[in-house]
Amino acid sequence: MKTIVVENVEFSYNRENALENVSFSVNEGDFVAVMGPNGSGKTTLLKLILGLLKPKSGKIKVFNLDPWENREKIQNYIGFMPQKEHISSNFPILVKDVVLLGRAARKRFSKLTKEDEKKAKEALMAVGLENYWLKKFNELSGGQQQRVLLARALAVDPKILLLDEPFNGVDIPSQDKIIEVMDKLAKKGVTILMVVHNINPLLHHINKVILLNRKLIAFGPPSEVLTAERMVETYGSSIPIVVCEEGYAHPLFGDTHG
Amino acid sequence: MDSILQPYIIRSILAILLIAVNASVAGSFTVFRNVSFLVAGASHAALAGAALAIVLTIYGIFNLDPIVGGAIFAVFVALSAGYAARDEGINTAIAISFAMSMSLAVLFISIIREYAARVWGLLMGDLFLLTDHDLTLMAISTLFVLIVAMLFYREFLFVSFDMEGALAFGINASIVNYLLLTIIAVSVVVMLKGVGAILVYAMFVAPAAAANEVARKISDVFILAFVIAALSGFFGILVSFYAEVSPGAIAALMASLTYFLSVAFKKIK
Ligand SMILES: Nc1ncnc2c1ncn2[C@@H]1O[C@H](COP(=O)(O)OP(=O)(O)OP(=O)(O)O)[C@@H](O)[C@H]1O
Ligand SMILES: [Mg+2]
Repeated sequence: MKTIVVENVEFSYNRENALENVSFSVNEGDFVAVMGPNGSGKTTLLKLILGLLKPKSGKIKVFNLDPWENREKIQNYIGFMPQKEHISSNFPILVKDVVLLGRAARKRFSKLTKEDEKKAKEALMAVGLENYWLKKFNELSGGQQQRVLLARALAVDPKILLLDEPFNGVDIPSQDKIIEVMDKLAKKGVTILMVVHNINPLLHHINKVILLNRKLIAFGPPSEVLTAERMVETYGSSIPIVVCEEGYAHPLFGDTHG
Repeated sequence: MDSILQPYIIRSILAILLIAVNASVAGSFTVFRNVSFLVAGASHAALAGAALAIVLTIYGIFNLDPIVGGAIFAVFVALSAGYAARDEGINTAIAISFAMSMSLAVLFISIIREYAARVWGLLMGDLFLLTDHDLTLMAISTLFVLIVAMLFYREFLFVSFDMEGALAFGINASIVNYLLLTIIAVSVVVMLKGVGAILVYAMFVAPAAAANEVARKISDVFILAFVIAALSGFFGILVSFYAEVSPGAIAALMASLTYFLSVAFKKIK
């Protein structure tokens, strides 16, 4: 089943187009990496799917609904993790409070239950922070804060996960652990769109890649999309592609010496 | 020596309790949402509003209680700052509204020269001159603030924590944001009569800011802010009963001192 359909979408904040000519569709259980340089429209794309922005032209459907017109409805299916360099909460909000915010937002005026707590704890477990339940959020490290925000997105039992650079400042073992969790969710039918700069840790788990640079450069399985020419087209400089023993094409950003 | 339980003392104690509730509820959210400057903006807007109400009443155009006029202006400033800024630049927007309402206040006061003393009353405030009518208005406004804060507690927290996330999780963040700014403005006006526009900032922000430094969870902030505001207020009343000084000034001084003490306490700990 198609969960997200984007057709010929164009969007601009002011005069210049931030996105144009973007078309793709993803299915239930797709695990998609979204790549592109800074300012290429990755965050904008996620916000369009969330119904926070209205396309200038073109069509978006999330579960067959126009997100701009059915924001409340479609947001019930989506877990979102915003791109944050650092959250400047200056008050003693606890990790558990943060994780529960997402679930609480959907309950309107009804009380939080044991079930909510259970889901929140499971989500923290998934990001490896189960022992931080009662810690103050603003006393965590940047990477730990990122993981708490990821847990907030996971805790709402989403059918679609939209994650905007979830691995900023997250150490490699935690990344790997989180990717395992995503893998399992995708296999259970959750659709995942994840904005990343380094795709390598994900490569063996994703089944689609979106290359973006204001226009959609390419969309499809990683082996087809990640070619040397496409990388030049996306990033404006050549990025070598190395095929690993298991046959996956890995773009080598920066670390070309080895 | 007179007993301390004079009617005007009892009224001032009741007023302090109401003020402490506002300092706790709205004060804490002011600190969480990081808009403490709004308190200064709203209180000066309230002055302009009160002055306008007096102008309208004097010229027989419209009979308006100065405090109600003040509340309308304060809420208006809060909402327009929220509208102009949406998110990040809110302090700049408040600063501009602040400047505008001060100009209006001076303009209106210059029209009503001989009655200006009534506006100065709001500038300085006086806990000992409160009437039953004042107290009733304060109680009603406090109730309004309390009910809204309880109903929208989680939404207010979410918006204060991260606006973008709140929007994405289905919260109507702009309405919630306006509501939050509104209760802050209403709370400011509640305090105005008691402690005056000059001191409202200290009584409003200092208790919550002090509590915020030492609290280990959110509920602690609300409880501690209430305690700090109430104790500072009672101390102000006690001192001024025996010495001829403004109770509001002593209270505001105590509240601000508590802030510095709690910062120091946190450093040592
Ligand atoms: N709120 C905004 N107002 C005006 N322009 C904006 C706004 N947000 C983004 N833009 C512009 O739109 C373009 C796309 O921005 P977007 O945030 O989607 O990029 P991105 O791919 O997520 O970049 P990054 O890798 O830095 O996160 C950029 O040129 C940016 O300057
Ligand atoms: Mg981005």
